[in-house]
Amino acid sequence: MGWIVAVIAVAAAVAAAVRAQNAARSERLALARAELAERQSKAAEARTVALVDEIRQLARKRIPAAALALSHPTAQVPGLREAAEVDGDSARLLTEAVQAARTAVVEERGRVDAAARAAMRGTSAKIQSLLNQSQQLLHELQHEYDDPRILQLDFRNELALRRTQSTAVLCDAWPGLARQNSPLVEIVLGAQSRVAGYERIKVANHLRDERLALVARAAEPLAIALAELLANATAYSHPDTVVQVTVQQSGGRGAFLIVDDAGIGMDDDALDRARTLLAGPSEVLLTELGDPPQTGFAVVGRLVVQYGFNCHIEASPFGGMRTILRVPAHLLTVMEDDRSLSALAPKPMQAHATPSVSAPAEPEPAPAPQAVGGHPAELPSRRRRSPRPTPARSASAAVTRDREQVSRTPEQAEASWAALQQGTLNGRSVAGRSSAPAADDHPPDDHDDHDDQDDQGDDEK
Amino acid sequence: MTSGPGRRLIPAYLVTGGRTRPAGPALDRLAVLIRTDTDLPPDTGSEQRRLCELLEPGALTVVESAAHLDLPVSATVFLVTDLAAAGHLHTRPPIPSAGEIDRSLVERLLVGLRSLH
Repeated sequence: MGWIVAVIAVAAAVAAAVRAQNAARSERLALARAELAERQSKAAEARTVALVDEIRQLARKRIPAAALALSHPTAQVPGLREAAEVDGDSARLLTEAVQAARTAVVEERGRVDAAARAAMRGTSAKIQSLLNQSQQLLHELQHEYDDPRILQLDFRNELALRRTQSTAVLCDAWPGLARQNSPLVEIVLGAQSRVAGYERIKVANHLRDERLALVARAAEPLAIALAELLANATAYSHPDTVVQVTVQQSGGRGAFLIVDDAGIGMDDDALDRARTLLAGPSEVLLTELGDPPQTGFAVVGRLVVQYGFNCHIEASPFGGMRTILRVPAHLLTVMEDDRSLSALAPKPMQAHATPSVSAPAEPEPAPAPQAVGGHPAELPSRRRRSPRPTPARSASAAVTRDREQVSRTPEQAEASWAALQQGTLNGRSVAGRSSAPAADDHPPDDHDDHDDQDDQGDDEK
Repeated sequence: MTSGPGRRLIPAYLVTGGRTRPAGPALDRLAVLIRTDTDLPPDTGSEQRRLCELLEPGALTVVESAAHLDLPVSATVFLVTDLAAAGHLHTRPPIPSAGEIDRSLVERLLVGLRSLH
C-alpha cells in the first residue's frame, strides 16, 4: 500500500509543479500582454496627439497659407509637421483637405470675380454712354462759345471716359465704339489726348506712308491700349520730363508704336508681372490687380489677345521704361485720298538725319494745297491771287489795302489815284450832266470797279 | 474734329498744351490775322504750320482760320496767341461797326459851340 501512497504523492507533486509552472507562464504571458497593451495605447496616444497637432497645423497654418498662396504666389505653404508620426493614409487625407480647400477657394473666387466683373461691366457701359453724350454736347458747345473752360471740361470728360472704358475692357466688354478706318497718327493723337499730362507727350512720326491707317475694328482698341501705355509712362515719370512716342513702319507691313519715358523704371518682380499681363493671360481676376487696381497692363493684355497686337516692355535707354506695341500687317490699311488728315497730325519726318531749318519745311507745302483744295466744297475759301468781288467788308478792306501795299510802290499808287481824281474832275467839268451815272458806276466796295477806275485813270493819263 | 459718325478721335483741347488760358490778351472772333515774314522754327507744330500756310495768301479772321483748321475758336486762339507771341503773326482787332450817333451829345456840342459866340 505504501507504494500506492508514494505514487499518489509523486503524482500530486508533479501535478502541483506543472500547475505552478503553468501559473507562472500564464502570469508572464499576462504581464507581457499588459506591457504590450500599454505600449500600444501609448503609441496610439502619441499618434492621436500627432494627428491632432497635424489637424491644428492644417486648420491654423496650411489652409490659410494655401489660400494666401493663391493671391501671393511667393507665399510658402507648410507641409506636415512630423511626417513620420502620421501614417500614410492620414497624411494623404490631410493633403487632400488642403487641396479641397484650395479648389473651393479658387472656385468661389472665380464666381465672386465674375459677378463683380458683370456688375462693373453693366455700370461702366452705362457711364460710358452718358459720357459719350456729354462729350457730344461739349463738342457742340465748343463751337458755339469761345470760353476755354469748355476745353478743360472736355478733357476731364475724356479722362473719365478712358477710365470707364478700360474698366469695361478689363471686364470683358466690347470697347463700346465703332470707328471707321482711322489714320495711325490720328489714333496716336487720340490716345495722347486721353492721358493726364498729355502736353508732355511728343509724337515723332516716322511713317513712310503718311496715310497708313488702322482697319475699323482695331482702331479704337489700339487707341485704348496706347492710352494705357501712355498713362503709365506719364504717371511714373517726372512732370518735367518728356514721354516720347515714335510711330514707325516695320520692314514688313506692320507698324510699331514705341513709348519711351524717363521715369523711375521697374524692379524685376514688377517687370515679370507686367510681362505676364502683357502676354495676355486667359483670365485676369480683378482681385489680382491690387488695391487700388493697377489696370493698365492688364487692359493692354486683354486687347493684345483679342486683336492680335503684340506688346513688349523693357528698360528704356532714357532711364525709364520702353514699351513697344506692334500692330500686325493684317490690321493695317491705307486711307483713301479723299479723306484729309487732321491739322494736328504731325507730318512724317523724312530726313531726320539733317534737322536743318529748311528740311522740315520742305515736305510741308506738298500736302498743303491738297488739304486746302479738299475744303472749298464745304467752306468758303479765299484766294487772293485771283481777285473776286466779295461782300465781307472788314477783312476784305484790310486785305485789299494789304495787297495794294505789297504789289505797288507808293509812287505808283499816288500816280493812279491822282489820275483817277484828275479824270473825275475832267469828266465833271466837261459835262456836269454825266456825273450822276458815273457816280452810280462806282460803288465804294467793289474792287473790280476800283481796278477799272485805275485803268481808266491810266488811260486818260 | 474727325469726319464720320461716332466719337471724335482728336479733341480740340490738344492744341492748348494743357494750359487753361491763352498766353496773350483776349482775341475777338473777328480779329484779323496777318502773317509776318518770319521763318517758322523747325519744331513748330503741324497745326501752327497749317495756320501759317492758310494765312500765306492773305489775312483771315480768327473764326475763318478756325473753320479751315476744323477747330473751335477757343482752341484756335491758343494757336494764334502762341504764334503772335513768337512774332510769326500780327493780330488786329476787328473794325467796330459804325454806331448810331448820340443825339444828345451832338446837341450839347452844338449848344457849347453856340455859347462860344
